[in-house]
Amino acid sequence: MAGETGTATTVSHLEKSVARLKALAVDALLLTTAGLMAELLIVAFSGRRGPTGLLLTAEEALDLLHYGWMAAACVVLAFTWNLFSRWIGSSPGRALVRGVPEWEADLPWSRTLRGWFAVLFIELTFFAGWLITEVDLPAFLTKFSKASDIVRGLVHPSMSILHQGVVLLVQTVFLAFMATAFAIPIAFALSFLAARNLTRGSVLARGLYTVVRAGMNFTRAVEPLVWALIFISWVGIGPFAGVLALWIHSVAALTKLYSEQIESIDLGPVEAITATGAGPLQVLRYGVVPQVMPPFLSFTIYRWDINVRMSTIIGFVGGGGIGYILKPRVDLGEWGEVGTLVLLIAITVWLMDIVSAKIRERIV
Amino acid sequence: MNAPPGGGRVAVRLQGVCKVYPGGVQALTDVSLEVREGEFLVVLGLSGSGKSTLLRCINRLVDPTLGRVWIFDDEMTAAEGARLRQLRRQVAMIFQQFNLVKRHSVLTNVLSGSLGRSPLLPSLFLRYPAVEREQALAALARMGLRDRGASRADALSGGQQQRVAVARALVQRPRVILADEPVASLDPALRHSLMRQIEQLSKEEGLTVICSLHDIDLVKRYATRLAALRDGHIVYEGPPGDFDRGTFREIYGTDAEPASNTLV
Repeated sequence: MAGETGTATTVSHLEKSVARLKALAVDALLLTTAGLMAELLIVAFSGRRGPTGLLLTAEEALDLLHYGWMAAACVVLAFTWNLFSRWIGSSPGRALVRGVPEWEADLPWSRTLRGWFAVLFIELTFFAGWLITEVDLPAFLTKFSKASDIVRGLVHPSMSILHQGVVLLVQTVFLAFMATAFAIPIAFALSFLAARNLTRGSVLARGLYTVVRAGMNFTRAVEPLVWALIFISWVGIGPFAGVLALWIHSVAALTKLYSEQIESIDLGPVEAITATGAGPLQVLRYGVVPQVMPPFLSFTIYRWDINVRMSTIIGFVGGGGIGYILKPRVDLGEWGEVGTLVLLIAITVWLMDIVSAKIRERIV
Repeated sequence: MNAPPGGGRVAVRLQGVCKVYPGGVQALTDVSLEVREGEFLVVLGLSGSGKSTLLRCINRLVDPTLGRVWIFDDEMTAAEGARLRQLRRQVAMIFQQFNLVKRHSVLTNVLSGSLGRSPLLPSLFLRYPAVEREQALAALARMGLRDRGASRADALSGGQQQRVAVARALVQRPRVILADEPVASLDPALRHSLMRQIEQLSKEEGLTVICSLHDIDLVKRYATRLAALRDGHIVYEGPPGDFDRGTFREIYGTDAEPASNTLV
C-alpha cells in the first residue's frame, strides 16, 4: 500500500516537473521572440545604413540581430520570472501550460505583469511585421499610375482571344469535374476509416484511423501546384496532369470533410441497426450513410466549385485549362487579352457559386 | 397478471455484471438478475442510475466490464463476431428516441428488423425477399400503420414513429424485447396505448419484455415484476404489489414523492 502511494507521488512529481519545464520553454520562446522584435525595431530606427549606402532592407536588418545572445539572455530571464512568480505574478508560460493560479484569476489584465507583457508582445509583433514585410504606404497611395496600363487592359478586354478562352474554359470546368468525380469514391471509402467514432472498436481500426488521418494531412499540406509539377513529369503536360493534381488534393480535402460529418452523426440509428443483429456493412449502410448523404453531396459540389478556381493556377504550370493560355499573356503584358480571360474566369466562378449554393440549399 | 412463480424457463440471466466506462464512471455494480420467459420486467430508477447501461449490457451494445449474460441457453458475453450477431437477433430493442433511419421509408425501417437474416448484398441496396416484405407489411398493419409504408419515417408523428420502431422489433422475430424508456418522448395521452400494444404483442408472441420506465402508474399497470436500480446497484426486486412508499423513497431518495396515490 505504502509502495503504491509512493509511486503515485513520484508520478505526480514527475508530471509537475515536466509542466514546469514546459512553462519555462514557452516563456523563453515568447521572451526571445519579443526581445528579437524589439532589437529589430531599434536596428531599423537607428539610422544605420547597409553596404549599398541605403537604409537597411528588412532582410539585412534581420541578419544583424543577435539571436544566440538574445536566446541565452531570455532563458535566464524566463527562469528568473518563474522563480519570483510568487511576487511579480505568474509568467505567460505558466498561465498557458498550468493555468492561471487562483489568487490571480480575478485580476484584470492591467494589474498583472503577464497582461502588460501580452500587450507589449502584440504591439511589437505588429510593428516588426510592418518592417519585415516592408509596408510602403506612400507607394500604395501615390504610384497607381504605374499599374494603370494593366487596369486599362483589364477593363478593355480584347475580343481576339474570346473563342480560345471559352474553349479552354469548358476544359477547365470539365477538368475540375473529373478531378472531383475521381475523388468521390476514394474519399467516401476512406472517410469511414478517418472517423473517430467508428474506429474505436479495435486496435486495427484505430491504427487505420491514424494512418489515414496522417496521410490526408500530408496530402493536403502539399500545395496542388506542387502536385501538378509532380504529375506533369509523370503523365506529361496537359489537362490530365491537372486532373490528377486536383484529384489527389480533393481526396484529402473531401475525406476530411466527410469524416467530420460522420463524426457528428446521431448514434441512435447505429445502435438500433446493430441491435437487429446486422453486420458492420449493413450498420454503415443503414445507420450512417442516410445521415451523411445530404452533407456529402453538398461538400462535393462545393469541392467542384473550389477545383474550378484552383485549376486556373494549375494551368499556369502546364496543367491544362484556361490558366495554360493565361500565363504567357501575363508574361508578355497582353493586358487586354488577360482582361478577357480573367473576366471569363470571374463569370464562371460566379455562376458556379450561385448554382452550387442553390443546389446545396435544396439538399440540406 | 403475475408471473407464475418458478414457472417458465429463464430467458435472460445476468450474473455479477459490472460496467465501468472509460473515464472511471461506474454505471453498474455487481448486478445479478433472472428474467423468466413471458415476464414483463420493469426496471425503475433515476436517470443516471444505470438503467440504459443494464439494458445495453444484455444485447452487448455495451460490453460489460465484468460478469456474464445469458439469453436462454446461450452466453452473450462469450460470443463475438458472427455468433454475437446471430444471438442478437433474438433480442429486439426499442429506444426512447425511436432511432429510426429518418430518411428511409417507413417500410424500409420495418424491414431493417430482418437485416440479421437477410442476404447481405441486396440488403445494401435496400432490397429484401418478398417474404420479408409481406411480413413487414403485416407488422405495420398490426401496429395500425397499414397505409403509411411509403412515407418517410420523419414525416410521422412521435407516437407513430415509436409504433414503426415496435414493428421493426416485431419483424426481427425476437424472443426478448428490451425497451429503454419507450414512452418517455411521447405525449402522456399516447403512453398507455403504446404500452398496451407492447404488452399485447408480448402475450400473443410469448415474448419476454425488459422495460425501463419512469411513470409509476405505468409500472403498476404493466409490470409483472419490478427491479429498481440506484447508483448501479439493484436495491429492490420483486412483484409490483409489494412496492410501497418506503421502497419508493429508497430508490428515488427521501425528497421524492410518488406522483399519484396509486402506490399507497
